[in-house]
Order: sequence, then C-alpha cells, then structure tokens
Amino acid sequence: MPAWLVTLGWAVLKASLILGFVLFNALFLVWWERKFAARIQSRVGPQRTGRPFGYLQSMADVFKLLSKEDVVPARVDRWMYVLAPIVIFVPAVLVYVVVPFGPNLIVQDLNIGILYVAAVTSFTMIAIVMAGWAANNKYSVVSAMRAAAQLVAYEVPLVLAVIGPVMLAGTLSLQGIVRAQEGLWYIVVQPLGFLVFLTAGMAELNRAPFDLSEAESELVAGYNIEYSGMRWSFFFLAEFSNLVAVSAIATTLFLGGWQAPWFLPAAVKGLIPPVVWFLAKTYFLVTVIMWIRWTLPRVRIDQLLDFGWKFLLPVSLANIALTGLLFPVLVRLGWI
Amino acid sequence: MTGLQIAFLALSAVMLFAAWKVVTSDIIVHAALWMVLSFVAVAGIFLTLHAEFLFAVQLLVYAGAITALVIFAIMLSDIRELRGEGEPAGAGLGRRVRRLVSRRLGLAPAAVAVGFAAVMYSVYRATPWPGLPPGDPAPSTLAIGRELFGTYVVPFELASIVLLVAMVGAIVLTLREGGREKEEKRP
Repeated sequence: MPAWLVTLGWAVLKASLILGFVLFNALFLVWWERKFAARIQSRVGPQRTGRPFGYLQSMADVFKLLSKEDVVPARVDRWMYVLAPIVIFVPAVLVYVVVPFGPNLIVQDLNIGILYVAAVTSFTMIAIVMAGWAANNKYSVVSAMRAAAQLVAYEVPLVLAVIGPVMLAGTLSLQGIVRAQEGLWYIVVQPLGFLVFLTAGMAELNRAPFDLSEAESELVAGYNIEYSGMRWSFFFLAEFSNLVAVSAIATTLFLGGWQAPWFLPAAVKGLIPPVVWFLAKTYFLVTVIMWIRWTLPRVRIDQLLDFGWKFLLPVSLANIALTGLLFPVLVRLGWI
Repeated sequence: MTGLQIAFLALSAVMLFAAWKVVTSDIIVHAALWMVLSFVAVAGIFLTLHAEFLFAVQLLVYAGAITALVIFAIMLSDIRELRGEGEPAGAGLGRRVRRLVSRRLGLAPAAVAVGFAAVMYSVYRATPWPGLPPGDPAPSTLAIGRELFGTYVVPFELASIVLLVAMVGAIVLTLREGGREKEEKRP
C-alpha cells in the first residue's frame, strides 16, 4: 500500500471516530440533561420511551428531527442561513483533534495545542452572528449582538486563565501539560485559574446563568429562532459538543487529564485505564455545569458584562501575577 | 509542482477573491464575512509555511477578535448607511462606474489604497529578507517567545505602551458624567 493511502486511511478513521464520539455524546447528554434537570426540579423526566429510565428518548428526538420538513423562511439571507449551522458545527468537532483522551489516545498532539483550541473556538461567535443576521428577525439580531458582546468579554479571561497551567508546565501542548501533572494536579496550585476557566467557559457556552443570547422569556428562542429540523439540531449538536470540550479542556489543564489521582498507590493506579479516568472527570465537570445551569437564575446583560470585564478579567490577571510570584516557591517545594 | 505549492496557490486565490468581495459587497455584513474568509485563507498560507504559531494567532486575533470589533462597528453604525443610502442610483455596470468616480465611494478610498500600497512597497524594498530555503520550518513558539522578550523587548514594550495609551484614550472619550448616564437609562 502506498504511504499516502495509509495516511489518508488513518485520517478518515480518526475523523470518523471523533464524529462518532460527538454524535453519541449528544445522544447521551440530551437524555442525561433532561433526567438531571428533572431531578433538580422534583420531576422524574422522560421515562416511557425505553422503560424504565427513558434511555431511548434521545433516539425518539433524533427521528423526530430527521423526519421534519426542511423549512427555509422567505426573505432570509439564503447563503448565510444555510452556512451558519455548518460554521458552528465544524469548530466544535475540530477542537477534539488536540484533546488527549489517553497517553496514546489523541488525534494529533500539536505543539501549539491550547492556542489551537482558542483559535478554533473563536469561530462560534461568527456562526452565531451569521445565524442571527441571516434569519431576518429582530429577536435573532438582538440575540446575535448579545452573544457577540458576551463571547468577546469572556474569551479574554478564558485565555488568561489558561496561561497559569501553561506557565507551570512550560509547554502549550495539551499532552505535555497532562504529563507535567503526574505529581500534582494543577487545581491544587491554580484554584483561582480553575474557577475563572469554568466560569468563563460556561459563559462561552451560552449556558445559564449566562444564556442571555437564548433568553426564552425575552427573545423567544435567540439566534436560532428561524431554524427547525436538522438545521436546528446542528446548533444543539455543537452546543453539547462544546459543553464536553470545555469540560475536557478543564480536565486536561487542571484535573490531571488522563492521570490517576497522584496520591493513590501505584498498584491502584494500574487498575483503571487512563481513558476511564479522563471520561469520568470530564463528565463529572459536565454534570457540575448542568447542576449550576438548573440551580441559578439568569443574570441581566449589564450584570453579565460588568462581571466579565470588571471582575473576571482582573482576577485572571492577578492569577498570572500570583503564579509568577509563587513559581520559585513551588519549584523549591518540589511540587512542580 | 508539489502539493504545498498547489495549496499555496489555491489559498492565495481564495484570499484575493474574498478581498475583492469585501470591497464590492453591497451588504456590509457580507463584506465582514468575506473578510473572515480572507483571514482564514491567510492563516492557511501560514500553515503551508509551517508557521503554526502564526496560524493560531491569525485565527484568534483576526478571524476572532478583529471580526467581533468590525461587527460591533457595523451594529453601532447608522442604519440608513448600512442599507446603502447615498449610493449612486441604477444597477449593474453603470452604477459601478458612477461609484468609482464619486468622491466618497471611489476616489478617496483609491487614494488611501495607493498610499498604503506605496508604503508597503517601500518597506518591502528596504527590508533585507532572510533567505530561508523553501520547506524550512519557521521558528517554533519557544524561539518566537525568546526573540520577543529578548532581542525585541524594547519595541514590544513600546507597542504595549502605545496600546495602553489608546485604551485609556478610548475610555476617556466614552466616559460620561455620572448623572447623565443615569438619566439616559430611564426610558
């Protein structure tokens, strides 16, 4: 077999694995979020499709979405309307290229790793503005503007929070950052960075309490108001994919990625494979984010922007300064 | 021709076409999106030159942040101007020509473009370009960081100060008296 064919085969295989993960993840999370939200609200959630826990509910949702008529409203900006769901979905998949699921379970360990993640995810804002503008609807334009303001405000603290682990590990590669946490997870020395990352990450995901761009009670549905059927579902595929991506990156940067907890004896560490550790931590964070979403009320837009620029940004800058000051101490203690 | 050369040519064609559409689109939001495509093509060219760091920064800063600023500028602009009022009447080629000779939409932008091109050309002629052999990998992120905070630390800090001054200036310009802002908030 020629070499290029082998390369192509591997590329196709890896791409299909990622796509498969993204799709199954969405199926699981639709069900999990409905069940979890129901429990928080003292309900039982879906239970009839796939008794007794309603585990086939997402499949029923998929068939409903697939069988719906493809409606393109009159007087929409056609090209932008068709492209927006694709532009939001592609970056959501591309992020997984650098996510280290295990010591050898990674598509491509880029040496610009975390910078690549920041670069790729910045397209979400463009896609939301495209969808909001293309729909030719005043609610969707308001939503797109809010989303743009929010994503710009929270991207800065998000990227600044990432700098802490990068300083400690001395590399941008995600695999390198995970390996550097063998002795100690960075959440112990970067608690501030972790909290800033999680908060800003939730805002980037447009999830409550930061879901201003999808505020149902004031904007009907938000930037995706004129979308239905499969086109609409692409926005939700991207949302659930991004939810896991933020949790996976937080796990990688602060919770030791696929490493077992450092305090466990070596014999116990060997029992559970790294990928299980990684997925357990990631889905734990996903559940925490859902928990916050269904517990806290939505903030106002001015509170949201004030919080981002006047609180989160200074805190993330202070975190970098603190990390720099404490770096020699941590080295002397042998923690890093 | 190697695969990389074909990729370089294709990306350049996409970039130039997108740049052309940026200045000829009638709808300003379309122009902004064509600009994003042009930025992405430039990032792709960086990638074909093995400059991964520049690739990521190009996407993060230009396709992400600069585009957000442009979109804010559009949304804060006068709606009549966005709808194309003040444009020459008619359609097709005649309108294009009328537009080209009008002072605001044709001559002034052309003068700016020519001036910018002249500056860029003189910079291009005056700079001694390092003759890197083709296919040689660009410096790594580590090397860029060392250069930036070692050799070029004074220009780097100067640029930071200029940006800081611009930021303070922007805040001063938009700052309102405490009382007036409260008054304006009431419907």
